[in-house]
Amino acid sequence: MLKLIEKKKKDDIIKYCLERFGLRQENLERYDWYEGSKNRIFIGPEKVKRINPESSGLCIFRLDKTPKPTTNFIQLFGEKINKNFIILNKTETVKICKGENLKKNIEFEPGFVALKYNGVSLGCAHWNGEIIKNQIPKSKFCNINFL
Amino acid sequence: MHKTQTIKEKIVERYSSLVDNSEQFTNTLKKPLKQTFRINSIKGNKDEILNDMVSYDTSIKKISWCDNAFETDLTNLGSSIQHFSGQIYIQELTSMVPPLIVSDLIKEKTVLDCCAAPGSKTTQMAEIMNNEGHIIANDARHGRIKSLRGNLDRMGITNTTVTLRDFNSFPNTSADVYLVDAPCSSEGTIRKKNAVARKWKQHDYNRFSKLQKNLLKKACEMAPKGSTIIYSTCTMAPEENENVVSQILDEEDIDLKKININGLKLDNGVTNWKEEDYNKEVKKCARMWPHHNDTDAFFLARMEKC
Repeated sequence: MLKLIEKKKKDDIIKYCLERFGLRQENLERYDWYEGSKNRIFIGPEKVKRINPESSGLCIFRLDKTPKPTTNFIQLFGEKINKNFIILNKTETVKICKGENLKKNIEFEPGFVALKYNGVSLGCAHWNGEIIKNQIPKSKFCNINFL
Repeated sequence: MHKTQTIKEKIVERYSSLVDNSEQFTNTLKKPLKQTFRINSIKGNKDEILNDMVSYDTSIKKISWCDNAFETDLTNLGSSIQHFSGQIYIQELTSMVPPLIVSDLIKEKTVLDCCAAPGSKTTQMAEIMNNEGHIIANDARHGRIKSLRGNLDRMGITNTTVTLRDFNSFPNTSADVYLVDAPCSSEGTIRKKNAVARKWKQHDYNRFSKLQKNLLKKACEMAPKGSTIIYSTCTMAPEENENVVSQILDEEDIDLKKININGLKLDNGVTNWKEEDYNKEVKKCARMWPHHNDTDAFFLARMEKC
C-alpha cells in the first residue's frame, strides 16, 4: 500500500540527488512522492479514491542505510545527471547489459553511479573504488546486438 | 505450418464478402509483417534516437500516417540498446491507432485503460501526455500485470496507476477517456502469431462477444457526460465488433463518432452480417484490413457519452 512520503525523507533523497548526481530541485519537485513496502520510494500520479492499486508511478529509490537509486531512476533522469556518471565503451556496455561487473580505473568517490553509453542512460551501478558493481535488475539483463 | 495455412484459408473464406479485393486480402495474409516500433520521447530526443538507430539499421523507414511510427527489416530490435533503455517500444502499427485518435483529448487528463496489459497503448498514451495527467491501467489477469509493470518501468512512465481487477467489478471512476481494448479472438494478428492459428475456434466469437459487451457496457455506464470511449479489437469478426457496438448503441446514451487519420485507409463498419442487421450508426466504426495499409487487421469505434 502506498502512502505519501514524509517530508524529511523526501528532502533527504532530493538532497542526495542534488549532491551525488547534480540534478536540480525542479527536476524532482513536479512529482507526487510515495513510500511503498520494503522502503521503496515512488514518484507518481495523485491517489484515486476507492481504488486499491497494485502499483503507482515509478519506483525510483530504495532506502537502506543510504538511499539507493534504481535503474528506473537513472534511465529517466539520465540526461540531467552531470556528476558521478561513467561513460562506457561498446564492449563494456554489452557486458553491463548482460549483467556483468566491470573493472575500470576511474577516480570517483565510492557510491552509486550512473552508467551511460553514447548518451543513452543504461542504469545504476555501485563503485567501490575497484569494481563497478552492476545494480541493473536481473529481469532486465539481455544480450545486446545493436548499439 | 499446414494448420496455419488452413486457418488463413478459413479466414479468407469467412471475410471475402466484406473486403473490396479478395485476392489482395489473401496475398497480404500470406506475407509476414515487418517489425515496427515507436520512439519514446520521455527517454530522449526523437531525432537523436532515430539517428543512433540508423547508424546500425539503414532499413528504418517512417510510416506515412503516423509521425512516430517506423518499420525495419530487422526482426530482433528487442536486442538493441534503444529497446533496453526504453527509448523505443516495438509495437504493431494497428495497436498505435487507438492512442492516436485520442491524442488531442488526453493531455493533462484522466484516462482509464480497462484492459491494459502488456501496456503498448498505455505507454503510448503516457508518452503523448508527456507523463502528465493520470492513466489508470487495469487488467484482470495477474500474469499479465507483470509484463505491464515491466513495460511501464522500462519506458519511464510516472503518470500511471496499475490495478488488478475484473473490470466488471471496477469501482465507478470518472475519467475523460476510457479505452476498452477488449480481449478478442485475435485473428487479425494471424500474419504474426502462429499461436492465434493454434487456438482459433469458431465458437470463440460468441464467448468473446459476451465478454466484450460486458466490458464496453461497464465503461459506458461509468463514463461521465462528454467523455470519450474507445472500443478496439484485433479481430475481423463482426460478432466481436459491430455487433458489440450496435448493442451498446441500442442500450446506452452514446453517440458514435467518425474516425479519420490522414494517410491511413480505413473502411466503414459493416451493418449486416450473417443475416443479422446492426444499428446503422455502426458504419461510423473503422475497420483496418491488412491489404489496405500492410498491417494486421483491426477494429475501432469512438463514442461520446451524451
